[in-house]
Amino acid sequence: MNKLHFKVGLFAAASLVLAAVFIVYLLHARGFFEKTFHLQLAAASADGVAPGVPVVFSGIEIGRVTTLGLNENGGIIIHTEFLSRNAKWLKENSSFTLDKPIVGGAKIRVDSPDLRAPALPDNATMLLLTSDISKEIPALVERVKAILANVEYLTRKDGEINATLANVKTVTGRMTGEYGVLEGVLGSPEKARAVTDSLDKTRALIAKLDAMTAKTDQWLFAQDGMAEQTKASLAQVRLMLNDAQSSLKKADAVMANAVEISANVKDGTQDIAKLRAEIDDAVRKANGLINEINKKWPFAREPEVKLP
Amino acid sequence: MNFLAASIESLGAKVVGWFTVGYGMFAFLAKAGLLLLEPATWNRATFDVVVKQIYFTAVQILHVFLGYALVISWLIITIILSTARDFGLTEFASEMTIRVLVLELLPFLTALFVALRSGSAINTEVALMQVNNELDALAHCKVPPMQFEFLPRLIGGVVSVVTLAGLAGLLALLMGYLAIYGMNVAGFEPYTRTIAKIFDFRIMAGLIAKCALFGLAVTLIPVTAGLETPKKLFMVPVSVLRGMMRVFFAIVAIEVVSLALKYI
Repeated sequence: MNKLHFKVGLFAAASLVLAAVFIVYLLHARGFFEKTFHLQLAAASADGVAPGVPVVFSGIEIGRVTTLGLNENGGIIIHTEFLSRNAKWLKENSSFTLDKPIVGGAKIRVDSPDLRAPALPDNATMLLLTSDISKEIPALVERVKAILANVEYLTRKDGEINATLANVKTVTGRMTGEYGVLEGVLGSPEKARAVTDSLDKTRALIAKLDAMTAKTDQWLFAQDGMAEQTKASLAQVRLMLNDAQSSLKKADAVMANAVEISANVKDGTQDIAKLRAEIDDAVRKANGLINEINKKWPFAREPEVKLP
Repeated sequence: MNFLAASIESLGAKVVGWFTVGYGMFAFLAKAGLLLLEPATWNRATFDVVVKQIYFTAVQILHVFLGYALVISWLIITIILSTARDFGLTEFASEMTIRVLVLELLPFLTALFVALRSGSAINTEVALMQVNNELDALAHCKVPPMQFEFLPRLIGGVVSVVTLAGLAGLLALLMGYLAIYGMNVAGFEPYTRTIAKIFDFRIMAGLIAKCALFGLAVTLIPVTAGLETPKKLFMVPVSVLRGMMRVFFAIVAIEVVSLALKYI
């Protein structure tokens, strides 16, 4: 075996195999084994679009512009080409926007808001929108100019801002005086003094009020004060209420008797008259009791017990 | 006045000299091309010389060359990646790497490598054969030197430079992938997209043509420079010097023209 020939043969074979693999890989990468998908984009202007301009979806290139030309009505038709594996990103509700950044080349951006929408058919025609930053710049510059003019007007000599600043200066100057911020706010030391005087008076008044409150406290809550007396009255009221309750219980028993008795009215007319007198007496007592309570305690109710 | 006339005369002599050299080279190339078309050239003996030439030019140096390509690719890829990261241009890093290495730098370095190693050897050999009248002797023995000495060297040079540059390029592509995405297959899709974007038909044809021209330059120029050698032994180093200078200029000219065609 010729060693030299073997080595060269090995080298040639390896190189050829690698070259073949690379070429097949390249053909695959460029979509030679795939169908291409075509899409027409209708635009008002082809400014910045040229063959080779990429079509990007989410920042990734999925296709390119192949040719562009005019249609019968003077509109621009841009022909784009996609590999069929990338065509799935083109939906019927996709929007196509021509992006022309200030730095970098133009590109056509595809936005598919709903990926479940039906796919675009081959050779479809869609509208191309334009978002041209460079066109917005003049308008922007105009507005900035207007703003700058305003700022200039505000900050001119003898302008409002200067006057305001001068005022602020006098106010802060006063604030450094004897009466500090008060003087700054009120304008002169005299006025500030008046305020401090009235503050002093208020302080004296509060001291007096304090003393009065202490006295009131004494009067209300000391031994034999108002509160103590009220408590005693309340105990009395409770006793009276107990009394009334027992009277009412008696009346209840009497009423039960009355029901029994009323079955034999003929015999019991005498009894009923007596019973009536007794009940009236009990009710009078209860009314009196309630009036008594009312005197001691201000109920907001009609002080009357009515008989049925 | 005399000085002016003398300088114009020397300029004219130089221009005539360039033209003579250029004409000689292209005439030689045309002869070689015509010979290639003749069926009689395609015989076993010529093929054997071609194989030997490829062995000496490409196979013998393959491991050294690939190691050298590996180191330089790794260095340049790392530099490009870190610079791109610093400037926030990472998305262009892979494309930049491939363009710089595979399309420009590696073919150029391959041509220089082969020129320095094989080109200088061919120049010396042909010059010595010329000085020692060996070429006339061969022709006398019905062994035409064009068919058995020069044409195989041209073919070997072209095949070697194209293959070596291709292998180095593939190695650089692999290194670029490893440097950017590491040892996983996640980056295959975007890397494929980048490669597809760069290598269209025009670029591939241009790359192969450029490598072939490099291969031709590093063998054709030394052969013609050697043939020009006057029959004096001390003229051999001068012949090699001239040949190597021409090879260098030719390589730079090919690179510049290819860049101009690609980007202008």
